Amino acid sequence: MDTTWLTKAWANPQALSANLWLIIALPAFGALVCGVFGRALGRTYVNLVACASVLASFCLSVFAFQAVAADPSVIVTPAANGVPMRFALSGDWGVWFQAGSFSAHLGLWVDHLSATMLMVVTGVGFLIHLYSTAYMEHDAGYWRFFAYLNLFMASMLTLVLADNLVLLFVGWEGVGLCSYLLIGFWYTDAANAWAGRKAFIANRVGDCAFLLAMMLLVLTVTAFAKAPGTEPPAVFFAQRRAVWTHAATSEPGPLNFKVLEEFAQYMPANLAMGSRGMLGTDIPIGPLAGHTYGHTLTLVFLLMLLGAAGKSAQLPLYVWLPDAMAGPTPVSALIHAATMVTAGVYLLCRMAPLLVMSPAAMATVAVVGALTALYAALIAFAQDDLKKVLAYSTISQLGYMFLGVGVGFFWGAILHLVTHACFKGCLFLSAGSVMHGNDNEVNIKKLGGLRKEMPWTTACFGIATLAITGIIPLSGFFSKDDILHGALHARLVGYEWVGPTVFAIGSLGALCTAFYMSRAYLLAFTGERSKDAKVPHAHESGWVIVAPLVILAALSIALISHGFPGLLKMPNGEPETLMEAFLKPVFGVADRLAIEAHSLLPEAERSPWPGFGIALLLAWAGGGAAWYLYKRVFPARAGKPAPEVFAAVRAFTVHKFYVDELYDAVLVRPIKLLSIGLFRVVDEGLIDTVLVGGTAWVTARIGSLLRYLQTGDVQAYAAMMAVGLLAGVGYAIFEALAK
Amino acid sequence: MQISPVDTQNYLLLAATLFCTGMLGVLVRRNALVVFMSIELMLNAANLTFLAAARERLDATGHLAALFVIAVAAAEAAIGLAIVIAVFRNRGTVNVEDIRTMKY
Amino acid sequence: MNAAQLQPYLLTLVVFLPLLGAGLLLFLPREEAGQVRAWTLLAMGVDLALAAVAYLVFDPKGAEFQLEVRRAWSAEFGISYHLGVDGLSVSLVLLTGFLGPVVVLSSWKFIHDRVKEFHISLLLIQAAMMGTLVSLDLVLFYVFFEAMLIPMYLLIGVWGSERRREAAMKFFLYTLFGSLVMLVAILAVYFIGQPAGARSFDYGTIYNSLLSANRQLAACTQGVGCATLSPLALTLQAWGPLMFLAFALAFAIKVPMVPLHTWLPEAHVEAPVAGSIILAGVMLKMGTYGFWRFAIPLFPVAAYQFRPLFVALAVVGIVYGALMCLAQQDVKKLIAYSSVSHLGICMLGIFAFTAEAASGSAYQMLNHGVSSGALFCLFGFLYERRHTRRISDYGGVARVMPFFAASFLVVTFSSIAVPGTNGFVGEFLVLLGTFKASSLWLGYPVLATTTVILGASYMLWMVQRVFFGPIDRPENGGLRDLDLREGLTASAFMVLVLWMGLAPQPFLDRIAPATDRFVARAQLGTPDSAKVKDADVRVTVPPIEGAPPALPQPPVAAVALPR
Repeated sequence: MDTTWLTKAWANPQALSANLWLIIALPAFGALVCGVFGRALGRTYVNLVACASVLASFCLSVFAFQAVAADPSVIVTPAANGVPMRFALSGDWGVWFQAGSFSAHLGLWVDHLSATMLMVVTGVGFLIHLYSTAYMEHDAGYWRFFAYLNLFMASMLTLVLADNLVLLFVGWEGVGLCSYLLIGFWYTDAANAWAGRKAFIANRVGDCAFLLAMMLLVLTVTAFAKAPGTEPPAVFFAQRRAVWTHAATSEPGPLNFKVLEEFAQYMPANLAMGSRGMLGTDIPIGPLAGHTYGHTLTLVFLLMLLGAAGKSAQLPLYVWLPDAMAGPTPVSALIHAATMVTAGVYLLCRMAPLLVMSPAAMATVAVVGALTALYAALIAFAQDDLKKVLAYSTISQLGYMFLGVGVGFFWGAILHLVTHACFKGCLFLSAGSVMHGNDNEVNIKKLGGLRKEMPWTTACFGIATLAITGIIPLSGFFSKDDILHGALHARLVGYEWVGPTVFAIGSLGALCTAFYMSRAYLLAFTGERSKDAKVPHAHESGWVIVAPLVILAALSIALISHGFPGLLKMPNGEPETLMEAFLKPVFGVADRLAIEAHSLLPEAERSPWPGFGIALLLAWAGGGAAWYLYKRVFPARAGKPAPEVFAAVRAFTVHKFYVDELYDAVLVRPIKLLSIGLFRVVDEGLIDTVLVGGTAWVTARIGSLLRYLQTGDVQAYAAMMAVGLLAGVGYAIFEALAK
Repeated sequence: MQISPVDTQNYLLLAATLFCTGMLGVLVRRNALVVFMSIELMLNAANLTFLAAARERLDATGHLAALFVIAVAAAEAAIGLAIVIAVFRNRGTVNVEDIRTMKY
Repeated sequence: MNAAQLQPYLLTLVVFLPLLGAGLLLFLPREEAGQVRAWTLLAMGVDLALAAVAYLVFDPKGAEFQLEVRRAWSAEFGISYHLGVDGLSVSLVLLTGFLGPVVVLSSWKFIHDRVKEFHISLLLIQAAMMGTLVSLDLVLFYVFFEAMLIPMYLLIGVWGSERRREAAMKFFLYTLFGSLVMLVAILAVYFIGQPAGARSFDYGTIYNSLLSANRQLAACTQGVGCATLSPLALTLQAWGPLMFLAFALAFAIKVPMVPLHTWLPEAHVEAPVAGSIILAGVMLKMGTYGFWRFAIPLFPVAAYQFRPLFVALAVVGIVYGALMCLAQQDVKKLIAYSSVSHLGICMLGIFAFTAEAASGSAYQMLNHGVSSGALFCLFGFLYERRHTRRISDYGGVARVMPFFAASFLVVTFSSIAVPGTNGFVGEFLVLLGTFKASSLWLGYPVLATTTVILGASYMLWMVQRVFFGPIDRPENGGLRDLDLREGLTASAFMVLVLWMGLAPQPFLDRIAPATDRFVARAQLGTPDSAKVKDADVRVTVPPIEGAPPALPQPPVAAVALPR
């Protein structure tokens, strides 16, 4: 079979590079059209514009992906200076803004990582757009909805395609903004709008940290590039650009990813400077002078982790995501499961070459991820709202991705991101289909028996459930368990306990995942139809809704190919997965640097199969437990009150461990009270009344005292003048005599 | 026989005396008209000082000033008397102690 | 007469055209409200066009001050009619020009009594603001600076809401107090700058004459050459801090910096829409502009000495202003306090003394003019319909006024600096520049960054309460959406918000040379002063056109103030 067409780019890379902006501009244009003319255009045309713009964007993305994937230079080849080359499409549209020595470019690029993300975003995005045309067919605000959704696509694609952190931040906040708008889409119910605001504020807390991280990074890189006597050449910022990309333009600024990667190259080099290379040396100039590069980078990544935690709903900023389910279900699927919430993972992976410089930060990432994975899974136990279950499950799954990033298992995290986008997207869309067929009922206890009434939806939900629980042979099995396997064998220097610990926590989480997902499935889809159901009989949704479900479910199965161990052999004969090989051009640098910087030491490759066996066992155990409890124990006990201990635990879990209440009591209320107190006491009291009013009062009092001099008697005035005159004369005489 | 010129100092002493007399008049007399006349006295004392200085310095600037003062005094007298008459018509008195409505 | 010949008259036209318009209005019958409005709009429109021409003609690579004109005015006191713009002032002139027609449009239906006087006041303010921005002579500057007060006082006091008299009085006394102190400092700097006969109120002349003294003084603060200070340097050493503080007080009140800010919320709340837009859009920037142009360059050593105080006050202002917003029940008061917070960012940028921060600060001035002007303007449209400022009186407005809600949201996002809107670029650069300012405590920029969170919380809280939720008051159910006039005004703001956010570089290019000079002048007072070259800071002063040949003056030593 002739396969050369696969290994050649379908489109001219140069031409693709020059037109990358179209991938963003098309949905943005769609948003403009839908938003401004949507009401006039009518439903059909809005649907058409919205879907077509995303579809066009998807097609372009396919070409871009193929060009990146197919080019022979994909293979990691050490260049003359030992820097691995990698192929990427890249375009630069000049300076966005520039001041002093800082500049940010409007630059986009597609490398293997962003190409993967592109496929997820535009692919899932298009399916969900298609789905939404049916889902929103009775909503009067359809044009607004599609405008927001298209705007979201544009922002998300900016995030993915940006070749520097500042432009990434545009997408980063842009998706947050769209998320705010879409969560509060049905704003006439105040609770929805409050949920949107909560999401935005929680994100903003993260963004604040992200901004700080960027600032510190600028200071660090600038100090390094400008420091006298250090090795980097003066052309530090400008060099390599021509090597890596098709566009050679002016200095790309310190936050460009290539510049940052280049910066990372210098960190571990020159071990003569100490056991940790440059990382152990002090920053010579600038405001950070005196702190070592290593410590600064740790701080940068802790801040960046907080930023990522805000966007990706990790501890401690996850609280917004469950509330975000107030938005329409396609939004939950697209934004709050498949794409936006994975931005944090993408960011940390994007920064991988620098991230591996700091084992402390990596350990924190891993621990945060593991704890979130378990914690959210525990809360999901007691949720009755189908979408809330899925929301907590998203938080939990994102935790696994963080875990993977934290132990340096970047490709695993990205693989899980991709598979998660498919099966979680499928789960949410199925949930949407269920709501569509059941008059917006989301309580799983009031559903039941959907298997007969909604066969397609049930099948897809079932497949996706199996995928997320990690049942072989579905994609979730390998993506999640690859991460856990990686965690067990990761050795973070100085934090050796982290790997096994997060493995244990993660495995426990996997058990819980199997339990609550099976519970949701069993309660909602099997058994008899609940007596509390809103409609006596559910109806299966139309093909526009079902087709995306089927495609995503199929993908949840098919993607197993990318995580299946040993499909490829590395040059030295070690087995390699497809995903690992594909992302090698991106993460190869990070892996190499991790070893050079002595932060992450590789262990001898062990067979993953025993670990996989345990994982499979856990998945079956969790699922089996759920089946036993909800199919055998509870039906038998129906009508009897639950044991007291159990009820208390359940109440605690239902209330999400009272974290919202805690935040409210510790942060929100004190700040509100502080501001009201400051306003009343300091602003109105001290400044306005005492100081400003006081000045006026004192002036008035002095005036009212002095007015008694105003006797109205002409001769009294004359007397005063005379006294003044005499005093003047007396002074003059005195002066004259004194001389 | 040559009359020896009067020493400038004497003029100044005279002017001071006149001024003080005028000032005393302004301060102690109650009748508005007398107060007025006292003011004229003070103005003329000032005039005398100007003229004495002009004579001493042998220039005409002092004369100029004196002429100004005379003009001002005339204007002041006219307006002042008009006010006094108006006050008298309204209140039937020109006693300054009785006219003190412009107070706190 | 061709275009090149017209150039020297351009700024004069920009300044005095509104005045001409005001003169014209005097001859219109007072019943003809429509005509009055139309003529005012025309005058403002032409002024905007002229300002735009000035902006486009301005060459970022050219001399510092361009479009200069310097004519004899009062030669014996050293006062000349000297106008000119640098990158910052030409940008602010454009902003002022832009807000002119907007102000007229926004109060088209709002003002019903004394329409003629109202519009005359608007034109007078416009002329005074333009004049303040382009004056390069301290007396001229002072005259225009004070001239802004009177029509503004009338605007608040005559056309304001219930407690307008108190608010107007407070505004007037507060600002007047500051500027009178500044007048003393202007006179002082006039007297010490040059010997009698050569004295001048010209900005450049004064700057150049203080230059070497400032240098000596800066060196002395490093312990070099304190024994050989020139008399002028000694005078500056003793009196410079006081003069700086006198200038700073006037400008800090205008900005306003915490704790001198309490006039602002009151003035905003009571002022009519037009007054609020002008106040927030341009007048507050006169304070930051004053720091940038006069207070810091003339007294760099004193400025450096007091920098910790001002940076601290700016950061306190940012956080404190934001906290105040959280406690407000009144929409206009909330926006007013948000101005305190945003102007704190401008001040932080100015006192960071780095190119990034100064550019950001200048950009932030423009942004704040656009976004808070837009907020007041848009809220004015709502106030016209409902006549209440209380947040709790609203709710669910988005349902009946979708276009209005959309515009307000866009502006809100600009105000809370979402990337892609103009607010982000300014805030980002200021924060970055403050981080880069190596002599500042890193905690300041970190604290300032919390504005990202606080800003979002109060603005979205307000938006939430006003626009979202159910319509629980019947009065809100019948509100009509924006009409064409209002829609166009709102769209103009939205276009600017996005334009300045997506393509900021053309604007920044114009500001950049002014920034570099400002930073160099500010650096003159820091330990790095030796690195600053004279050529980078000296002001080129053009000769006075049409001046009589200077009479030979006896050389008299400059007045040395007692030490």
